[in-house]
Amino acid sequence: MKHILVIDDAATVRLYHRNILETAGYSVDEAINGIEALEKALVTSYDLYIVDVNMPKLDGYGFLKEFRRQEDVLQSPAIMVTTEAGNQDKILGYVSGANLYMTKPTKPNQLLSYVRLLLGEVA
Amino acid sequence: MAFIKKQQSSTETEDERQAPRDFEGLCEELNHADSQVRRWAVRDLVEMPNASSVLVDRLEHENNVSVRTGILNALAQLRDTVSLNGLIECLRSEDAALRNESIEILKELPDEVGAILENLLKDSDSDVRIFAVNILESLRHENVEKWLISVIEKDSHVNVCSTALDLLSEVGSEQAIPAIKKLKVRFPDEPYVCFSADLALKRIEEGSQ
Amino acid sequence: MPAINISDEDFLKFKEYFYRKTGMLFEDSKRYFVDKRLIDRIEATDSGNFRNYFNQLRFEVSGEELQQLVNVMTVNETYFFREEYQFKCLVNSMMDEVTRKKKDDSPIRIWSVPSASGEEPYSIAIYLLEYWSGIHRWDVEIMSSDIDTKIIAQARRGHYSTRSVMNLSKPILAKYFTPQAGGYQICEDLRQAVEFSRVNITNAVDVRNYRDIDVIFCRNLLIYFDDASRRQAAEMFFDAMKEGGFICLGHSESMSRISSLFRVRKFPDAIVYQKPWEA
Ligand SMILES: C[S@@+](CC[C@H](N)C(=O)[O-])C[C@H]1O[C@@H](n2cnc3c(N)ncnc32)[C@H](O)[C@@H]1O
Repeated sequence: MKHILVIDDAATVRLYHRNILETAGYSVDEAINGIEALEKALVTSYDLYIVDVNMPKLDGYGFLKEFRRQEDVLQSPAIMVTTEAGNQDKILGYVSGANLYMTKPTKPNQLLSYVRLLLGEVA
Repeated sequence: MAFIKKQQSSTETEDERQAPRDFEGLCEELNHADSQVRRWAVRDLVEMPNASSVLVDRLEHENNVSVRTGILNALAQLRDTVSLNGLIECLRSEDAALRNESIEILKELPDEVGAILENLLKDSDSDVRIFAVNILESLRHENVEKWLISVIEKDSHVNVCSTALDLLSEVGSEQAIPAIKKLKVRFPDEPYVCFSADLALKRIEEGSQ
Repeated sequence: MPAINISDEDFLKFKEYFYRKTGMLFEDSKRYFVDKRLIDRIEATDSGNFRNYFNQLRFEVSGEELQQLVNVMTVNETYFFREEYQFKCLVNSMMDEVTRKKKDDSPIRIWSVPSASGEEPYSIAIYLLEYWSGIHRWDVEIMSSDIDTKIIAQARRGHYSTRSVMNLSKPILAKYFTPQAGGYQICEDLRQAVEFSRVNITNAVDVRNYRDIDVIFCRNLLIYFDDASRRQAAEMFFDAMKEGGFICLGHSESMSRISSLFRVRKFPDAIVYQKPWEA
């Protein structure tokens, strides 16, 4: 079963994404900000990361930049999820190491199609 | 080679505080190349009158995280109009880390922020309104629920409403129920809004039993 | 004599005061624990009631009674080789990185705070002697501090219960301890290896002299603090550390809820936090 880490400071958003992903057959872990995400991602090899941008302590860009620097961990893909959809933000997201960009609030179908795409599950 | 104990001289001698500790000296140190020196200058400036405006100015081009954190903490300590405005300006920054750090700091100033929160909730930038709702989270203010209800009734931006809704599911009472139900009607095509509205309604109902 | 009573209001006042002085915040669930100790001190000082005692406490110049109170309010529980994976990380990874980056042969400085009765700093010393070959090439300075003067005296003495040494292997026990009535006495060499001091980590004056630290252990203290004092403590540690220095927190404490000043570093034995190098 593919293992996904959902990173968001809002508990409701984490629960929403968890429900969608679990229903689709993935197993899900959660982190409340970039630091907790790093603590988890450096010891568990997740298959995919779903990353919010604005979070206290360490934001989504900061998490990805730091995560992408790590040499001895599996560099799985990441979807950046954010309320900001300006081009500047997208560029920042990609530069930080995001593979895809989604605008909040997410729709289950779109989320799942992105997830499948990045996990190479598209038929 | 082995274990040793501290030689008395090794500690008290080297002081980060190099320049004179008067206002001018400290302002100069705010531009020092060494970030440790800048951090100490920030610390000592907090004790001085009129420090807020130099600190706010420095914040704009300070890119060392630890010095920046020091300045934000100092502004929170100073709590005057200039510092407060400086912190609020950070909410508009292009820099996500700065935005989020200032939100955390503003959360610790309930009285000061409470007074201007209504304006922030009406800001033309939807992101600033979201941050304002984030700040509300820790504001133990009697109006919090009222403000949140008015956000989900009136704000046109779905993410501002969602953020307020998240918070209402924690602090909301029966008063909030009609507004939450209406929100579902306002954004019928947003599964997330329906999800979190239902969650909020469930929590409020459970809480009132 | 009428029984001494601590009212809700008294509790609140005391809680506020103690928090400001020490950073420790008592939840209402600790009410029984706090009341009992307060009453003990009110009796021991013959103050008669909370009000008299509290006034004495606040206006006493020497701070002696506050220290007494701190000594009874702290939770000093600790033991040898507690959360051992971090000591493994110290000798397998952190020490080598610290020495690799050093520009001179000045001593490596380790600060273990809070020390409680000393098991933690002594464990560090034992680990370095047993498992880190660099100890033959480098000078290491182990400092250890606590706010509780009684417990520091105990740490200096180095007498331990059987329970406290429970995690130690027979060879280690035989090498560094001698059995004694009711427990074990730590050897003189180790007693000499650690410098104990009284420090309140929320007091800027107390911590001023701690600078250029390479590795900090701050375990099972911040759990007793609230968010603001935790953040303050993190800032203080940041200033006390060398660039590239490491800090280890207790098992249930995470920087993710405290501060963004440090980087997360992964080593084979543990995840620790690091003060970033100046870019
Ligand atoms: C549970 S012990 C932890 C001992 C050891 N570090 C460990 O992890 O086993 C907590 C200690 O924190 C000390 N302490 C509490 N507040 C403190 C403060 N503000 N500054 C320094 N030490 C403090 C107490 O005296 C107590 O000995």
